[in-house]
Amino acid sequence: MKIEGTHEVHAPPERVYATLIDPIVLQRCIPGCERLEKTGENAYSTTLRAGVGSIKGLFTGNVRLEDMQPPRHFRMVVDGKGQPGFLKGAGDLDFEERNGVTIVSYKGDVQVGGTIASVGQRMLQGAVKMMATQFFTAIEAEAKTEAHEPPPKHGFFRTALRWLSGLLRRKFRGTAPSAK
Amino acid sequence: MIPAQFDYLAPKTIDEAVGLFAQHPDEAKILAGGHSLIPAMKLRLAMPQLLIDIGRIKDLAYIREEGGQIRIGAMTTHYQLESSDRLREICPLLPECAAQIGDVQVRNKGTIGGSLAHSDPAGDWPAAIIALDAEMVAVSAGGERTIKAGDFFVDMLTTALGAGEILREIRITTPSGRFGQSYLKVPQPASGFAVVGVAVTLTRDSNGVCKSAGVGITGVASKVYRASAVEQAISGSALDEQTLAAAVAHATDGVSVNGDLYASEAYRRHLAQVYTRRAIEAAASHAK
Repeated sequence: MKIEGTHEVHAPPERVYATLIDPIVLQRCIPGCERLEKTGENAYSTTLRAGVGSIKGLFTGNVRLEDMQPPRHFRMVVDGKGQPGFLKGAGDLDFEERNGVTIVSYKGDVQVGGTIASVGQRMLQGAVKMMATQFFTAIEAEAKTEAHEPPPKHGFFRTALRWLSGLLRRKFRGTAPSAK
Repeated sequence: MIPAQFDYLAPKTIDEAVGLFAQHPDEAKILAGGHSLIPAMKLRLAMPQLLIDIGRIKDLAYIREEGGQIRIGAMTTHYQLESSDRLREICPLLPECAAQIGDVQVRNKGTIGGSLAHSDPAGDWPAAIIALDAEMVAVSAGGERTIKAGDFFVDMLTTALGAGEILREIRITTPSGRFGQSYLKVPQPASGFAVVGVAVTLTRDSNGVCKSAGVGITGVASKVYRASAVEQAISGSALDEQTLAAAVAHATDGVSVNGDLYASEAYRRHLAQVYTRRAIEAAASHAK
């Protein structure tokens, strides 16, 4: 399946780029990410509870970042498997500045197999778009706040805030996607 | 094809169901007709820890007329709506839509409430419900609230229903005046789901001028939507050839059209325009 899209992030490319390759930020921003651990230079292993609505599955997988040319480009290689199926793919992310806004374009090819591909094919593209929108909305929030603040120190206030937003998100899950 | 282990509760009243759901808002799923949820569970794509079966609650399946509205109980089956002579008279869009859902087995067991709460991006009911600008009545331990159809469908498989909330009733303003309705769809041959489905309800004055229009489109994007640009383009017109041709060009305005193995993005967009036109023409021909 081909995946393609662009998102506007209201922050400079340097900031967006740094945000997108920061594992701590990624773990917060990837919808359903439960674990993201560094396994090597630009390589991570992850556990995701991915899905939409009541259709959800637990996936474990690996993410590798390649061809890094900050702040313009990197390539992301992913593979993962879980109970509902498996996926494998790679995509290119390009960053371009236009009037203070960073245009992030992504283009990739993902192979999806297993149950999710055989019965959920018609929903895959929509589900990917939905999760990509949630992801980039969260990235924008991160890139924006951190642009004029020092990088997050894991101080009491921030931890409390994160705990509270997590609690609210859990409480209102199903009411509206939290990242909307 | 065997679901993961789950607990099962079958309350006898809606109050009891709401109470149980309030105790397990995150782990429980409401089981209505079970024609979307059970297949997903058998494939283990959904693994709720608890099912609250509202199928044994007696007073949830009905079609009533009250206060200028048609009120439909959430557990009313597709077949009950399809076979209602009264609805055929006062709101034919509902039986016409119901008749095109899945197959006989699905229509006998599946319910309008279950279908709306599941909110499949290619489900048939959402198109009709959003075109009719219906209201959903949701109950929870905190009480009752109504949600406008336009706010109800949040995204793919996601509705405005909160944790612990159960859809109880659907309310539709009874159409009046010279009105015409139609639901047309291209079913996916294997699943019966709408590749594109278009629901239209409109009213015309004695000169044939379209006074108001509701156009709901399903199957095209991640969620059902109202084709507002089409509605505006045909309102105030005599629904002539030229106006229609120009109007349906806006059928997918502002939405991100999905593609899959069966129908590409471009093909879906084309189908949406063709079927919007046909559905408007059919509705217009009934409003004479």
